[in-house]
Amino acid sequence: MKFDTIIIGGGLSGLTAGLALQKAGKRVAIVSMGQSTLHFNSGSFDLLGYDAQGAAVNNPLEVIATLEDKHPYKKCGDVEALAEEAKALLTEAGVKVNGDAKANHYRITPMGAVKPAWLTINDYATLAQADKLPWKKVALVNVMGYLDFPTKFIAAGLRRLGAEVDVKAFTLPELETARKSPTEMRAANIAKVLGNEDIVKRMATAVNEQTEGGNYDVVLLPAVLGIADSVLSQQLKANVNCQVQFIATLPPSVPGVRVQNLLRKRFIAGGGVHLTGDKATGGVIENGTLKCITTENLTETCLKADNFILASGSFVSGGLTSNYEAVTEAVFGLDVEAADNHGQWVKYNVFEAQPYMEFGVATDQQLHVKKDGKVINNCYAVGSVLSGHNRVKMADGTGVSMLTALQAVKNILK
Amino acid sequence: MDVKLKNKYDVIVIGGGITGAGTARDCAMRGLSVLLIERFDYAQGATGRNHGLLHSGARYAVTDQESATECIQENMILRKVASHCVEETDGLFITLPEDDLGYQATFVESCQRAGIRADIIDPAEAKILEPSVNPTLIGAVRIPDASIDPFRLTVANVVDARLHGADTLTYHEVTELIIDQTRVVGVKMRDQLTGEMREAYADLTINAAGIWGMLVAKMAGITVNMFPAKGALLIFGHRVNNMVINRCRKPANADILVPDDAVCVIGTTSDRVPIETCDDMKVTDEEVKVLLTEGAQLAPALATTRILRAYAGVRPLVASDNDPSGRSISRGIVTLDHATRDGMEGFVTITGGKMMTYRLMAEMVTDLACKKLGVNKACETATTPLPGSESKKSEETLRTYNFAQKTADGRHGTYTKDIKPADTLESSLVCECEGVSVAEVDYAVNEQNVTNLIDLRRRTRMGMGTCQGQLCACRAAGQLCQGNHAEEAAADLADFVNERWKGMKPVAWGATLNEAQLTAMVYEDLCGLNQFVKEGGKK
Amino acid sequence: MADLQINSESVFNFEQCLKCSVCTVYCPVSAVNPAYPGPKQAGPDGERYRLKNPVFFDENLKKCLNCKRCEVACPQNVKVGDIIQAARMKYSTHKPSLRDRILASTDFVGTMANRFAPIVNMTLAMGLTKSVMHSTIGVDKHRQFPAYSSKRFETWYKRNAKAQQAQYDKQVSYFHGCYVNYNFPKLGQDLVKIMNAVGYGVQLLEKEKCCGVAKIANGLYDQAKKHGNINIESIRKAKEEGRVTLATSSTCCFTIRDEYEHILGLEAADVRESMTLATRFLYHLLDEGKIKLAFRSDYKKRVAYHSACHMERMGWVFYSTELLKMIPGVEFTMLDSQCCGISGTYGFKRENYETSQAIGAGLFKQIKELAPDCVSTDCETCKWQIEMSTGVPVENPICIIADALDVEETIKLNS
Repeated sequence: MKFDTIIIGGGLSGLTAGLALQKAGKRVAIVSMGQSTLHFNSGSFDLLGYDAQGAAVNNPLEVIATLEDKHPYKKCGDVEALAEEAKALLTEAGVKVNGDAKANHYRITPMGAVKPAWLTINDYATLAQADKLPWKKVALVNVMGYLDFPTKFIAAGLRRLGAEVDVKAFTLPELETARKSPTEMRAANIAKVLGNEDIVKRMATAVNEQTEGGNYDVVLLPAVLGIADSVLSQQLKANVNCQVQFIATLPPSVPGVRVQNLLRKRFIAGGGVHLTGDKATGGVIENGTLKCITTENLTETCLKADNFILASGSFVSGGLTSNYEAVTEAVFGLDVEAADNHGQWVKYNVFEAQPYMEFGVATDQQLHVKKDGKVINNCYAVGSVLSGHNRVKMADGTGVSMLTALQAVKNILK
Repeated sequence: MDVKLKNKYDVIVIGGGITGAGTARDCAMRGLSVLLIERFDYAQGATGRNHGLLHSGARYAVTDQESATECIQENMILRKVASHCVEETDGLFITLPEDDLGYQATFVESCQRAGIRADIIDPAEAKILEPSVNPTLIGAVRIPDASIDPFRLTVANVVDARLHGADTLTYHEVTELIIDQTRVVGVKMRDQLTGEMREAYADLTINAAGIWGMLVAKMAGITVNMFPAKGALLIFGHRVNNMVINRCRKPANADILVPDDAVCVIGTTSDRVPIETCDDMKVTDEEVKVLLTEGAQLAPALATTRILRAYAGVRPLVASDNDPSGRSISRGIVTLDHATRDGMEGFVTITGGKMMTYRLMAEMVTDLACKKLGVNKACETATTPLPGSESKKSEETLRTYNFAQKTADGRHGTYTKDIKPADTLESSLVCECEGVSVAEVDYAVNEQNVTNLIDLRRRTRMGMGTCQGQLCACRAAGQLCQGNHAEEAAADLADFVNERWKGMKPVAWGATLNEAQLTAMVYEDLCGLNQFVKEGGKK
Repeated sequence: MADLQINSESVFNFEQCLKCSVCTVYCPVSAVNPAYPGPKQAGPDGERYRLKNPVFFDENLKKCLNCKRCEVACPQNVKVGDIIQAARMKYSTHKPSLRDRILASTDFVGTMANRFAPIVNMTLAMGLTKSVMHSTIGVDKHRQFPAYSSKRFETWYKRNAKAQQAQYDKQVSYFHGCYVNYNFPKLGQDLVKIMNAVGYGVQLLEKEKCCGVAKIANGLYDQAKKHGNINIESIRKAKEEGRVTLATSSTCCFTIRDEYEHILGLEAADVRESMTLATRFLYHLLDEGKIKLAFRSDYKKRVAYHSACHMERMGWVFYSTELLKMIPGVEFTMLDSQCCGISGTYGFKRENYETSQAIGAGLFKQIKELAPDCVSTDCETCKWQIEMSTGVPVENPICIIADALDVEETIKLNS
């Protein structure tokens, strides 16, 4: 079994790389162990939200130019062009987004905070400026009994910015049935319940009943619609008497699952091989070249490719693992950049910049990985498995995932 | 919960740990009017930071017969009167190849002398009884250890004190004793939430503030010499063992492994620390290492089990050489009548002892209080069940319950009947790991003095499970949030996440580090919770 | 610290769970049946409390389909499905009913039904029989029972194929399973046709029993273990004689390879790698250039592939789809990965019918909109469900390959 490129990891960075390689006519396989961190997504993509001092960034491109050398963006040649390419790739896959790499906009978080964003799915509520809402009178309408959309916090956030907010809730017989489960009334399951045109029509009526006569500028809803695509949310918009926008919920994230589905579907439709639920377990490295990799399910063979991309994510995704003694790259035991002693991985206060967040595999300027100090010339690392950036502090996670993936593809195709 | 204070009480009890709560209950049951004052939340100090072990007394049998006898007597009493806080697990004292098997005979003989059932069993039988036990053991003794939940125990005492007319205040710190010449007549205190100063008066003030009692005594110019002894413990992800496992040797570090609720706890270390560090104790890497190394001797599976967190408590050890009465304090429990000891009327201190013997301590100090106040009523706490422990549900009844009802029954005993989900919404789980429903959160808020998420955790176990509050804390914060106080509620959530992290940090590797990263991605990356952090947040 | 905490994963697999809730997105049951606690609660969350006290076991765990989609989705390698099945096995006090025993006894019922196939088929198809079964033993009346063949595959094989097999140098064994034996011998015959054409003889196992998947699902663990051990022994014997054992059913293959060890605790590790799916075996022979296939030029079919749950779990969808894509006359579409809802005997039960159909609704809709000539899948129970629910015929990839195969040309290429 031989491919042009094998990608380890089926999250945002792996799929981005896969789609870009496919576009160049390459035969690609993705080995994907479990689902990705897109399941905790906000409905937005970040390029760079905060600078090193923690101040919100207006123009990401400008600030990226000033980042320290260790940051993965410093290995991405033309960041602006890559950002454009990433946006185009999303659009082609059916993820309609708004935003501009030269000027961040802002999203509203499930806690009612405001955070900078680069691209936002066009159903989702955004602000052009951090301190200015585009609406005055807001109806915040939850699904009755849904706990992962804390309306009190969101309403307070909107009121801080001067809005007049009414908090409402709607229900439907199907939702009442779903609510009988004490635990499974989750965003994705609600989206499945609200999964056809008939029920969305009735949902629109229910929302209209809640907002009737309120003269609202906007109806804000939890992101519990459209797990497959944006068809149902468009339909809802058409049937609600007022402008409708969504705000992200606590996980699992419906917009994130939607992005994952659309990208994956496009990859498979384009002839890509998606080894779902399989785990890369190691590989054969000879003279600085990765020859092939083994996986848990395809035990009989070593999967060969000219090039490999490691897009296996950070600790949460299993790309990095740790024990009492050390941080390890999970598949090949590649060289990592991490503090030696676990006492140095962490800081006392949870909201300090935690050192472990920046741990990851070491790469050369072309994103080649290293093992025992030696560069592997056909294996590239992309996304959250890379060292040198803190996605939580800088709000750069999705940007790093997509841009480094696209850069690695460029390096491969060169 | 706003409390309107009486002009004057018979007794003020300072300290809402188990000793203070037990004392308030006993005093109230004897008809005294009582005010209980806690500076933060119930069971926040040493009470909530130990093994949760209902000692059989066996551990003390060889070195301290009197403590051992007290323990087994209280053990048997608490099984009856606090049944919903106790899980009758039994325990093993194991001898490993490197230990002296000869100690076993001395141990068993001492146990029997103290009235503790101690049966030598075959090591092979021990392995069947408790499959997680170190298989290389060469000796085993079965003794009546059990596990006890200190949070439930404390709250049950407080609830009963209130049922008997006591007033209770949390988040009130006593800043000054009001002294009239040579008599303590009341206290000045600060409401920690509003900053407001309040005063309360009583004939007798009982200092039951644990290690912090030495600071309270100082307010009356009295020196009580205590040595804060720090003990660190580790909590594992699930119950590796179903019986308490002890090492059959002279008491040493990390030689007790206790199954508590859905987890198990190894401990402890023992180190003297300065009093200044007692409010915010950090577990060191050295302590973690000792606990793991020794713990794996008891149950080898601990070496490869996920660790949820580390924590430390402080034992109030009283220095016997400074006892002005001249009597040696060997029993651990110390009752100081400051009238006879220091010439200060209206003020007594109860300290030393163990969580295990709290009821006895309360009885002793209440006896003294009654004597001083001229009340003649016998103690009934040894026979009167605590609220929640009036009866126990049968397994058949439990089997018909859903997950949340089953876990709630363990926490609230007979009072589970008051947790009535009005609809499907209130049956929804806030905390999925520990089965805490919306209705249970409501109950805790309305009936159990919950002012913040950390209090809620102590009442319900919300956020004490595998994920340490990853989604549940946000759901609970939404529920706790009142009126237009969303910013305070968000700050409280930030505090809670930070408090959880402090326990995870010393053991942040493997799945626990993965968990921390996921939590940061949810709360900081997705939600921006860091924007709500307040300087110097609540404990 | 010697060997303390040197694993990056706990030895207790359920402790790896980060409570991220990703598994719940992929559970086909919890979204349509609120009585099922969902994979997270039923699996790792529940396990902690069950270890404290078995009273925490919830009989609603039987509503789990055992589709393993939670395991495929888990980013931390938690064997959620195994945890749930193991808990059922350990704690359930539910006794299998007569209905459960009948449904689980695919082999025994099959043997009886074969003898009287026309009568049985007619009887099972009759409205009266269906409603009697619905109300008496709880088999849902909407179900079409798979037709029973009047001739067992084993009988056909012994009479028509066995003698010819010795002529081939290379040999494989075949675990045909109950479905091929009693309901649909053609699939087995098609496999023999393909294997013979590429120069492989096909042998039956010395003894073959039902793989036991239905017995596991219905709580008949002791029977499942007994059968399992017989199968393991036979596969081991074939291995010792140098033969790999092929299956044409993804579920039989998965059960033998993984469930025997993970759920039933049987010692099957040594035979795991000599048990494989026919499409996987063929793919490798083709990939390594050891065989060649020639296809008829007049074969044209629009095929939509449905990835069965256990196919997903094994991670072998790729082999079947790549083979189908090799057939020049096949116009291939990949259906979205979702459960059809039948899950073996689950959907046959009256109490599960609605859940079962609700789970598959999305899949049926997609198939109806696409209206392919046929759906292809590696699982026979998916076949029944999809055929009943969409009216579109469903074929195993092996049947499609066999139908499209230019046998003479293939024999020529491989000799």
